[in-house]
Amino acid sequence: MKKKIGLLLAMLAALVMMVGVFGNPTQVQAADNSLAKIQKKGVLVMGTSPDYPPYEFQATVKGKSAVVGMDVKIGEKVAKDLGVKLKIKSMSFDSLLVALQTGKIDMIISGMNPTPARRKNVDFTHTYYKGGYEIVINKTDKGKYKNKDSFSGGTLGAQTGTTQYNAAKKQTKNTKVKGMTSQSDLILALQSHKLDGVAMEKPSAEAYVSNNKQLAAIPSDFSMSSSATSSAIAFRKGSTSLVNKVNKTVDQIKKENLVKKEYLPAAGKYLKTNTVNTSMGHYWKAFLTGIEYTLIITVCSVFFGFIIGVLLALARLAKGNFLKSLLRWIATAYVEFIRGTPMMVQVMFVYFGLGLFVNLPALTSGIIAISLNSGAYVAEYIRGGINSVDIGQTEAARSLGMSNGETMRFVVLPQALKNIWPSLGNEFITLIKDSSIVSIIGVTELIYQSNIVRSDTYRGVAPIVVIMVLYFVLTFTASRILNYFERKMQHA
Amino acid sequence: MPKPVIEVEKLAKSFGDNAVLKDITEQVNPGQVIVVIGPSGGGKSTFLRCLNLLETPTSGKVAFEGHDLTTMDTKSVNSLREKMGMVFQGFNLFPNMTVLENIKLAPMKVKHADDASATKQAHELLQRVGLDDHADAFPDSLSGGQAQRVAIARALAMNPEVMLFDEPTSALDPEMVGEVLNVMQELAKDGMTMVVVTHEMGFAKSVGDRIWFMADGYIQENSTPEKFFANPETDRAKDFLSKILM
Ligand SMILES: Nc1ncnc2c1ncn2[C@@H]1O[C@H](COP(=O)(O)OP(=O)(O)OP(=O)(O)O)[C@@H](O)[C@H]1O
Ligand SMILES: [Mg+2]
Repeated sequence: MKKKIGLLLAMLAALVMMVGVFGNPTQVQAADNSLAKIQKKGVLVMGTSPDYPPYEFQATVKGKSAVVGMDVKIGEKVAKDLGVKLKIKSMSFDSLLVALQTGKIDMIISGMNPTPARRKNVDFTHTYYKGGYEIVINKTDKGKYKNKDSFSGGTLGAQTGTTQYNAAKKQTKNTKVKGMTSQSDLILALQSHKLDGVAMEKPSAEAYVSNNKQLAAIPSDFSMSSSATSSAIAFRKGSTSLVNKVNKTVDQIKKENLVKKEYLPAAGKYLKTNTVNTSMGHYWKAFLTGIEYTLIITVCSVFFGFIIGVLLALARLAKGNFLKSLLRWIATAYVEFIRGTPMMVQVMFVYFGLGLFVNLPALTSGIIAISLNSGAYVAEYIRGGINSVDIGQTEAARSLGMSNGETMRFVVLPQALKNIWPSLGNEFITLIKDSSIVSIIGVTELIYQSNIVRSDTYRGVAPIVVIMVLYFVLTFTASRILNYFERKMQHA
Repeated sequence: MPKPVIEVEKLAKSFGDNAVLKDITEQVNPGQVIVVIGPSGGGKSTFLRCLNLLETPTSGKVAFEGHDLTTMDTKSVNSLREKMGMVFQGFNLFPNMTVLENIKLAPMKVKHADDASATKQAHELLQRVGLDDHADAFPDSLSGGQAQRVAIARALAMNPEVMLFDEPTSALDPEMVGEVLNVMQELAKDGMTMVVVTHEMGFAKSVGDRIWFMADGYIQENSTPEKFFANPETDRAKDFLSKILM
C-alpha cells in the first residue's frame, strides 16, 4: 500500500495543528454531527490520488477523462448508501491527509492502509480489501528470480516512502533498494535494466504485467502485518457516527466479495480499453487541457504578480515617516521571505494553510501562490527599473508641479518598465515552466496531465517527450511575442 | 517698491557635515532677471533647487508671493511649483514621449487641461521657441540646443510666474548656445521674472538686472552688471572674474 509520510506532509500536518489552535478548523467542532452534516450537505467529497491502477487511475470514459478504479466503485457505493452524491477530488497522495484535516475533502479512499501512526490523526473504517505484494521483473529474467531473496547483489526498486519500500529495505540482504516517486518511472527503470525488480502491490503488479508483454510477476514473500496490506477508508478524527454507518457498507462489500467479483473486473476493463490505443495522439485532449491550465495559471499569475510587484516595489522605495518605514520594512521582509522559501511549500501553504479559513479551489490556490511568489521577484525587477531611471526625470516632473504619485505613474514607471521589459519577459517564461508545481495540489496542468497519461498508458518516455515539446512551443512562442513588443517599444 | 515674488531669509542648507548654503537673505522682484554666478561647487545649483523645494532647506525661509514654502504641506508645495518653471543643464526631457507629449503632459495631468487646448498651447509654445516642425520628434533625435528649447517650452506650458535656469547652456556645443540664450532673452523682454545660474558673462551683462555673486555658501555681492563687472567689491569676486575673463 501507499504509505508516504514525506517530510513535507509532516511539516504541513504540524502547521495545520498549530493553525488549528487559533483558527476554527472544521475538524475540531465536528464532534459527532458528522453523519448528519454530510447528509445535510448532500455531497460526499472523496479524495484520491489517481495514479495507482487498478485502485484508482485516470481513464477516458465516453471521450472524457475521468477517475476510475475499484476505489471509485467503493466510493460510489458508500455515497449511494448514505443517500448523497459523490464528488471526486484528485491530488497527490502526500496531500490527502492534510486535505482531509483541513476540510478540503470528506474522506480518503486511495488504497490507504490503516497504520497505527495514521490512526492517531484520522478515523478508519473496517478494511475493505486485503492485498499483498509481488515483484515485477523482466520476462527474460523469469526463472532467475523466485522471490525477495533472489536479488542478492542486485537492485530492487519501490515507490519512495511506501510500505513495500520499507519492507524491501528491511527484509532483503545484500540488495540495493532504489526509491522513485512514480510507479511508471520504476517500470521504465526496470525495462532499461537499471533495476532488476520492482516491488509493488499485487493488483498493480498484475495490471502492469497484463498490459506489458515484456514483464512478469513473482511473489515477494515479504512478511507483513495485516494493517500494512489492507486498505480502509479514512474520515476526520471524531466522525464516529459517520464511520459506523459506512462500516455497514464496507461489511456488506466484504461479505458479498464485491471487490473481487465486480469492482476489480470493472477497473480492469478500463485498463484494457485504455491500452488499446496508447499513442500520444489519442491523448491530445488530455494534453490540450494541460496546456489550457498551464496558460491560465501563467497568465493570471503574471497579471496579479505584476500588480503585487509594483505595489511591493513602491512600498520598498517608500521613504519618510514611521508608517512609510514600517511599510518598507514589511515589503522587504516579504520579498526576502518569499525568495528564501521554495515555491512548492508556498503552494501547499496557500492551499492547505489558508484552506483552514477559506475554502479555496486548487486552481485558485495555485494562482494565488504563484502570484504571491512571482510578485516578490517582479518587485525586485521593478525596483531596479525605477532606480535605473535618471533622477533628473523625477526632478523635471516635480518642477512642473506633478505630485510624487503622478511623477511615478506618468514619468518614472513607464520608463522603468521599458528598461526591465526583457527581465519581465523572462519572468513570464519562467512562470510557464514553474507553474508545473501546482500539479502537486491536483491542478490539471501539463505535468499533471502527462503523469496521468503515463500511468494510463504504461508508457514512460513518450508523454515526457510530448510535454517537453509542448513546453518548448509555449515558451518559444511567448518569447517571440515578447521580442516583438520589445522591438515595438524601442521605437517609441 | 513692488512686492517681491521670491523672498529668501536666512536660508541654510547642509548635506551632512557639508554646509553648502550658510546664510542667504535676498529677494527677487517681479520682472527681474537675476543672474547667479560663482565658482563651481559654490552652491548655486543647491540654492536654485531650494527655491522650488526640490531640495529641502536645513533652516531659514523661502517664500513665494508671501507664502513660506518651508512650512507648507506637500500638496501646496506641488501647486506652487507649477508657478516656478525650471530648466536644467541636462534638459531632462522625457525620452519616451514626443516633443509635443513632453509639453502637454503636465498641463493635462496636473491642470487637467483637455487634449485639444493642451495641444494648441504646445504648438504655440513650440512656435515661440522655433521648433514647431519638430512636434512629433522624440528627444533623442534633437540637437542639444533644440532639446533645451523644448525644455523651456515645457516649463512655460504651466504658465509660470518665475523661471529658474540652472546652467541651461553648459551642456551645449558652442554653436548652439546662442539659440538658447536668444529664447531666454526674448522671455526676459516679455517681462518674465527669471533666476539664471550661468557662466555666460555676455548674457549676464546684457540681460541681467542684478548679479548675485555666490561663493562659499554666501551671496558675496549683489549688484548691477555694470558695477559688478567694472568694479567688483570683494577679493573673491575679483579673483573669480580674473580667472574667467582671461
Ligand atoms: N544631493 C547632494 N548630496 C550631498 N552633497 C551634495 C548634494 N548636492 C550637492 N552637494 C554638494 O554641495 C556642494 C555644492 O554643490 P552645487 O551643485 O550646489 O554647486 P554649484 O555651485 O552648482 O557647482 P557647479 O558650478 O559645479 O554646478 C558641492 O560640494 C556638492 O558636492
Ligand atoms: Mg550647479
